[in-house]
Amino acid sequence: MLEILIHGAVSSAIYAMLAVGFTLIFGVARILNLAHGSFYALGAYGAYFFTSHLKLPLLPAALLAMAVVALFAIVVEKVLVRPMRRSQLAVLMITLAVALVVEQALFLTFGSEYRNVPAFVDAKFSIGGVDVGGQRLLALGASIALIALLWIFIQRTRLGSAILAVSQDPEAADYMGIPSDRIFSIVMGLSAALAAAAGVLAGPFLTVQPTMWLLPIVKAFAIVIVGGLGSIPGSILAALMLGYAETIVGYLISTSWTEIVSVLATLLMLIFRPAGIFGKRAAF
Amino acid sequence: MKKFSVLYSAVCIAAGIAAAPAIAQAKPILIGVPTSMQLQVGRDTQDAIKMAIDDINGKGGVLGRKLEMVVADETENPETGISAIKKLTADEKVDVLIGGYTSGVTLAQLPHISAAKTIYLGVGAASPSITAKVKQDYENYKYIFRVGPIHAGNQARQVTGFISGFVKGELGISKIAIVGESAKWVQDLVPLLKKGATEAGADVRMTEFFDTQTSDFSPLLAKVKDSGAQYLVVILSHASSDIFAKQWHDARFPIPYGGIDVKSMDGDFCERVGGKSIGELAANFAVRAPLTPKTIPFFDEFKKRTNRSPVYTAFGANDAVYIYAQAVERAKSTAPNAVIKELEKTSYVGIPGTIEFDEMHDVKPGGKGPNFLFVQWQDKCKREVIYPKAQRTAAFMTPAWIKK
Repeated sequence: MLEILIHGAVSSAIYAMLAVGFTLIFGVARILNLAHGSFYALGAYGAYFFTSHLKLPLLPAALLAMAVVALFAIVVEKVLVRPMRRSQLAVLMITLAVALVVEQALFLTFGSEYRNVPAFVDAKFSIGGVDVGGQRLLALGASIALIALLWIFIQRTRLGSAILAVSQDPEAADYMGIPSDRIFSIVMGLSAALAAAAGVLAGPFLTVQPTMWLLPIVKAFAIVIVGGLGSIPGSILAALMLGYAETIVGYLISTSWTEIVSVLATLLMLIFRPAGIFGKRAAF
Repeated sequence: MKKFSVLYSAVCIAAGIAAAPAIAQAKPILIGVPTSMQLQVGRDTQDAIKMAIDDINGKGGVLGRKLEMVVADETENPETGISAIKKLTADEKVDVLIGGYTSGVTLAQLPHISAAKTIYLGVGAASPSITAKVKQDYENYKYIFRVGPIHAGNQARQVTGFISGFVKGELGISKIAIVGESAKWVQDLVPLLKKGATEAGADVRMTEFFDTQTSDFSPLLAKVKDSGAQYLVVILSHASSDIFAKQWHDARFPIPYGGIDVKSMDGDFCERVGGKSIGELAANFAVRAPLTPKTIPFFDEFKKRTNRSPVYTAFGANDAVYIYAQAVERAKSTAPNAVIKELEKTSYVGIPGTIEFDEMHDVKPGGKGPNFLFVQWQDKCKREVIYPKAQRTAAFMTPAWIKK
């Protein structure tokens, strides 16, 4: 029982970090960014590259990876996404193209073999008789901290208010003198940094190889559909639901059934409540 | 400069024309290589074939003809695999195919290989269904041979030997759990393994399959622990080896594990997972040990040429070129029917052992033939052969956190 509680929390935390960024971009820019999983992959590869090739210590390497990924996301937004933001379909296509290009670039640069991102904590902890790797607990803690920081940033700062304003009504925000384009760039950078952080934190206990972007984007998609596109609390709740549902299925039924949970949840939600738990309106 | 290059081209063309009749007389023998080019198994297949080709061509080729290699990427996707076979047989008109990795892909390719009437020497896929076709429908599938690895059924037999001879016999553990990923060859293998282990007197506490996309093994590991098993036998191939090793180590899982772990056959697997596989036992078809007079020289030459340790496809691929070349020499032709007759008589001392084919055109395992070696990752990511006892290079090392 305690095992389900702990391991479910770790899975949920990683999912939440991915889904919150994904939904934030949608909430503000009204775009579905299929390259979001690539930010996760690039974060993990960045940490790998900086530690193993440039021999940087882990913490600077991790922060540098997050910064580089955020910068990359801002460039993608400015150069590729912004000119076609009016068309949902065009944005879907261009972000998918970015994801595939990143995958191929990783293939060519690092090969198809998985790589090792060193762990911040290698020790094992026993909580009530349950053995958990230290890096997992760190991922859980860091995820809670980062999402809380993001929440405070949005609710309490001037820039956060601007982000909220743009997400509520971009046109009105424009009239009030809020530079919505700059806000989009900032949000893109923030959510990419969050995805990169997930990559850096999960890399040591999950896989790091060029196709690693795909599963997270599928999960993030499922979570935001269940939680309601654009709603951060919805995403967090849905991430918890999915993380725990998968863990429970893994424990009680079989690990071979866990991967169907997210797909099933998405399907059921689209049929019965297309707006998601916290969504105010149907997204499609 | 421009004038010179025009002149140079003209000379080249003239030389080409002059040399044409000589080349026409000795048209090269084309070796088609369908493999997964992005993976190490694929890269090693190509490099090992190249090594054999260079060696044979250096000694004058086969029947006075040079060998040449044409590669097609079959990825891990059956559709792409079929296109690769079509490209090699219909467009390139190769004389022989040497390659393969994923059983699902090879099985999808079989009808197309048979339709093209081209000899196929498999060096990567392990499903027994592949060579079973030869017995079922010899006339259509006689083109299919497997040089390596030994097929899943024989692997099961040798893993069973490991469980009864080593886990039970030497470690004194009889309670085991078997987990494997949901892949075709694993599903073929696990029931055989369970039956064999039970017959050998082991108490199989649980068997479970997991999805190849699984990213969290904690539920599975918890179940294994709860089952009361004291040794964990794994069958891992395509996706999860690294995650499994990392999570086993991170949780300091109190049960040692070992079995078939395809990625853990790679020479650099241990470094790639940050040393977290230390303690794992993984079956391998060959390691740098004096298995035959060819084993150590091959490992050293391969390492010198590529700066990598070869994986199992390399042994099969290298041997396959020599086996085919010798069959052609004996048949004095590349006509498939004549070569097949000679291939069936093969007895070739290869890298993992002596290669001979049974009535299903499958490599015969055990004895002098290729064996399954159980190799443990030990301190500093060094590999040591633990079982069979005859080949042992070091004693078994219990992972540091497990009480003996």
